[in-house]
Amino acid sequence: MADPARATTEPLVQVRDLKMHFPVSRGLLGRKTGAIKAVDGVSFDIMPRETLGMVGESGCGKSTTGRAVLRLYDITGGSIRINGTEIGQMSQSALRKHRPTMQMVFQDPQACLNPRMTLAGLIGEPLDEHTGWSRARKLERIYELMDAVGLNRNFANRYPHEFSGGQRQRIGIARALALNPSFIVCDEPIAALDVSIQAQVVNLLEELQEKLGLTYLFISHDLSMVRHIATRVAVMYLGKVVEIAPREALYADPLHPYTQALLSSVPDPDPETAQQVRRIILKGDVPSPANPPQGCNFCTRCPAVMPVCREIEPETREVAPGRFVACHLHDASVPTSIPTGGPTPGGASTTNQQGGSS
Amino acid sequence: MLNFTIRRLVMAVPTVIIISLLIFLLLDLAPGDPTAQLPLTIPLEVRDEIRLALGLGDPVIVRYFKWLQMMLVNEPLHALEQVTGWNVAPDTQRILSWQSRSPVGDIIAQRIPQTLWVVGMGYLFGILIALPIGIISAYKQYSWFDQLGTFIAMVGFSVPVFFTGVVLILVFSVWLGWFPSMYDTTLRVTDWDSFMRQVRQMVLPVSVLALFNAAQISRFMRASMLDNLNMDYVRTARAKGLRERTVVMVHVLRNSMIPVVTVIALGVPSVFSGAIITETIFRVNGLGALLINAIYANDIPMIQTLTFIFAVLIVLFNLIADVIYGILDPRIRYD
Amino acid sequence: MRLKATLWGAAAALALVPAAAMAERERGSSGHLNIIYWQAVSTMNPFLSGGTKEMNASSIVLEPLARFDAAGELVAWLAEEIPTLDNGGVSEDLKTITWRLKEGLLWSDGTPVTAADVVFTHEYCTHPEGGCSYRDRFAGIESVVAEDDHTVVITFEDATPNPYIPFVGAGSPIIQQAQFQNCLGARAPECTDANFAPVGTGPYVVTDFRPNDVIQFEANPNYRVPTQPYFATITWAGGGDATGAARAVFQTGEMDYAWNLQLAPEVIEQMQSGGQGELLVDFGPLMERIELNFTDVSADLPDDERGTRMHPHPILTDIRVREALSRAIDRELLTEIGYGPTGRATCNFIVAPPAMASPNNDNCLVQDMDRANELLDEAGWERGPDGIRTRDGMRLELLFNTSTNAVRQDFQALIQQWWREIGVDTRLRNIDAGVFFGSDPSSPDTYVKFWADVQMYASLFEGTDPTPHLEQRRCGREPRPETQWPGQNINRYCNPEYDALWAELNREPDPERRQELVIALNDMFVQDFAHLPLVARGRVSAKSTDLGGVVMNVWDSEHWNQAEWYRITE
Repeated sequence: MADPARATTEPLVQVRDLKMHFPVSRGLLGRKTGAIKAVDGVSFDIMPRETLGMVGESGCGKSTTGRAVLRLYDITGGSIRINGTEIGQMSQSALRKHRPTMQMVFQDPQACLNPRMTLAGLIGEPLDEHTGWSRARKLERIYELMDAVGLNRNFANRYPHEFSGGQRQRIGIARALALNPSFIVCDEPIAALDVSIQAQVVNLLEELQEKLGLTYLFISHDLSMVRHIATRVAVMYLGKVVEIAPREALYADPLHPYTQALLSSVPDPDPETAQQVRRIILKGDVPSPANPPQGCNFCTRCPAVMPVCREIEPETREVAPGRFVACHLHDASVPTSIPTGGPTPGGASTTNQQGGSS
Repeated sequence: MLNFTIRRLVMAVPTVIIISLLIFLLLDLAPGDPTAQLPLTIPLEVRDEIRLALGLGDPVIVRYFKWLQMMLVNEPLHALEQVTGWNVAPDTQRILSWQSRSPVGDIIAQRIPQTLWVVGMGYLFGILIALPIGIISAYKQYSWFDQLGTFIAMVGFSVPVFFTGVVLILVFSVWLGWFPSMYDTTLRVTDWDSFMRQVRQMVLPVSVLALFNAAQISRFMRASMLDNLNMDYVRTARAKGLRERTVVMVHVLRNSMIPVVTVIALGVPSVFSGAIITETIFRVNGLGALLINAIYANDIPMIQTLTFIFAVLIVLFNLIADVIYGILDPRIRYD
Repeated sequence: MRLKATLWGAAAALALVPAAAMAERERGSSGHLNIIYWQAVSTMNPFLSGGTKEMNASSIVLEPLARFDAAGELVAWLAEEIPTLDNGGVSEDLKTITWRLKEGLLWSDGTPVTAADVVFTHEYCTHPEGGCSYRDRFAGIESVVAEDDHTVVITFEDATPNPYIPFVGAGSPIIQQAQFQNCLGARAPECTDANFAPVGTGPYVVTDFRPNDVIQFEANPNYRVPTQPYFATITWAGGGDATGAARAVFQTGEMDYAWNLQLAPEVIEQMQSGGQGELLVDFGPLMERIELNFTDVSADLPDDERGTRMHPHPILTDIRVREALSRAIDRELLTEIGYGPTGRATCNFIVAPPAMASPNNDNCLVQDMDRANELLDEAGWERGPDGIRTRDGMRLELLFNTSTNAVRQDFQALIQQWWREIGVDTRLRNIDAGVFFGSDPSSPDTYVKFWADVQMYASLFEGTDPTPHLEQRRCGREPRPETQWPGQNINRYCNPEYDALWAELNREPDPERRQELVIALNDMFVQDFAHLPLVARGRVSAKSTDLGGVVMNVWDSEHWNQAEWYRITE
């Protein structure tokens, strides 16, 4: 699954067949009666200095994937290599030494900052834990980080609740950067922020990437923001990656029917073109990850569903250079008409977008 | 914070005055007669004279202001004199118990040591047992330890003290003879021997109270820990690569302690009000026994004074709990 | 430290057993005594309390001129001898009595006891603002005069055939003038030190007093009997509950003597099996009874007429109904359930002293439902369809009050059931003891006001002379609204014959004739079914098996001979 375009460099992050199942227990004795397959066999690579966007509906497992990659969970199966080190099955205590290289920026900047610690304490804590620096040196580093994310140095002794949402996210970023990580998982870092602040934070992330040579896994449900920041994009549905492609290719020509549906939902700022875009409205709800359908996970809602989809789970294959998709429509071995560039009428209802305001 | 504290203290004054009026009137108007406990051989005419001698002849409002003046001025001054030895106490009347005809302040002062020793220790040990149990139970939720902790808490909570107390006496005093069943308030701790005797006579009542208190506080600790264990900042702390110990002890525990410390502070007045049942079973003549005795004997001045002191303590510790909350939680600002 | 020294002393005594076993007991030789009063003592001044526990505790410090022994006989105590008509101590007109103090009596502080102290005691207790609980002991006294240092003359207003009330018994001890002279009247409560540690003539002195908690005593160095008291020190603990006190004597051996063990019979029995203690029971004048109201207490009457002689009771004025109610009760069963060995079924108003208890009424001890039904039939009460009797449209329905107390509620339920069987409908109420026995004139629920048809409680009298107790049932002694309800004729009984007989008793100095008169009055009262005696209740205490010299006494303090208590050694 190596990306031939970048074959010359080793990927920084290599995830193979990652599985994260949460046990479900019922009854008086708490017997395990099943599992929620939040992430069920996800594979992808991230190149150094690259941003992999990860999109999907809520509950599709993208956040779980992000946390599992950083081993904030003990994963059910699969392998995770970061910077050449296999961390998939590493013990949490052994993992601690590797934590400095991989960090995470969380969605809710309010909740993920300990309310009883000052800004300096929050940013400096990883330094206490992982470096033997003197107080002065640590303080110097804290100021440096605050400068880097655009926080006034005078705020060092304040508590998180005294800051605005955007500022708090800057604190979160500064904290993540404290130990010079090479890989940062950004888990919906802007979802909880005002729209006016979102751009600032995204720009900050981009700037920092530029300056520090960071590699991001950028998880978001905001397709336009992903389009803005990501180099490549992975689309997830019900615990699986259905499509991975370079940004331009994906947005111009989505291959998987789910990707198509997802992109059709993005409001177009231009009313002229918006008139012509047909929105694909998916019917029904996402099936429970505890009990996914047989065959293709998307078969219950797919507008282009075929009998084979209900039988066999499609494999992920590279259909064009750098473009991976898991869909029988793009499997040459399955005889079918291949509708590309648009949805097939029948399985899904199509509507015309009514003007710019809806 | 200082401003807040001062303002609250000032606000507390009218509260306490109103409480004092309510206590006084409620007790005064309640049916009951201090001479009802006397043998029936004492004729009613004599009972009337006794009641007059107790000061029940004055109208209620006069008695209230007399009592309030004694409660707020004379008694504190006497207490100050006893503590410091300064000659500040006025030579005026003090609040006299109807039972013993002696100043209630002196009796209360006499009862405080054993109350604090037994009930206070029961509270302290309860907390010391409860916190680790609560923390471990939450950290290992649904483990056998948690289940056991839950079971013990249920037992401590639902089995009444008068049952556990008597069972402990039967086992450890009657059958095994390890500990005395009666507390000796005259024991002075002067050397190792008397210290051990003091410890032995405290074991049973303190265990009963500790079990009861631990049951309550451990559940509270557990719930608070569980709340915080699932917070995002705990995940952040883990992502930072902190030691698990640091994550739990620094991030989870410190935040979980905020409500628990408040609850513990709010419970302190109950230490002073004693543990009526435990004190009665083990014959620890503390403040609880004093109160219940006074109630039985219709010793109104004693009841009024004790309830008033408890009310003041409750008001005070509410304030203390608020202040502690403000200190522990930087998000709280009282301005 | 003292405790430790005592232990060492005990150890030394053990080591010397062969020699010491032969030795006579002497002051302090029995070491330390532990007494438990689960109702703790509030003060050491009995005049300011009136409670039995205070009277008992103070009785080992403060002593009267004479007291009663276990048989109820008068014994000279601080007095040289009992003054009588024969020895000239009581005047022929029964108006004066002359007491002579023993020679050489000393207070515990070493100063001599004089007649002035006796005179002062009278002054102290009769001060109108003092609220002295035993004031009635001095009722009817014209003067108390010290003739010389050792002689006191009490002059009564009227001829008093029983002059042995003032300064006699635990309720009338002598206090020291020097200690209490500034504590008269309203100042009495201010003398806390004196009230907590009175100077006395008794075998013990208070060394530490903590109200409602614990008292420490040590032997009085100036006690008049040089070899007594045998116990050097006493810890008189208070508090806890009756069960705990019993357990401490019977099972753990922590205590040597426990007072007033009002426990369920089966609890006492079970604890006794521990073998470490003995139960002490003796019967005095305390008797549990049902009072039947002779006046109408209907709520329709105005408050100042309700429960007064103006309106006779519509049901209970008929003796046949009263007798039926009595016949329907199984007194033996009540006793067994409620008191076990500490109670005796009785049909008498005066149950003690034994010589004054009437032998003529035992027929009521057997329950007789047939007779009860017959009596009600005769009285014209016919059974209605619901089994309840009616007469002239009036249901045979009674309101039955008592104080809140487990045994009394058991009794109420049983009696209700028996009365139901004979067609009497009973409504039960129980009232908090503090209210029921209280004397708040505005409360409708006091036993004195008796705004119920029947009520149950226990009552007794002081000393061995039932004359004042019998006087209570005289006409005109009933509680009335005009007098703000005090009064002792609780059931408003009124019988001129009874009054005449009582007047005779009150004039009669001859002891034997007095006994006859008491029995006659008792019989008249109970054969009139004026109230229904149920159970004579004993005093119940417990002592450890190795405590000797205890003589249970229901006529005086249980500790009347405290000086003679000793530790039994093998």
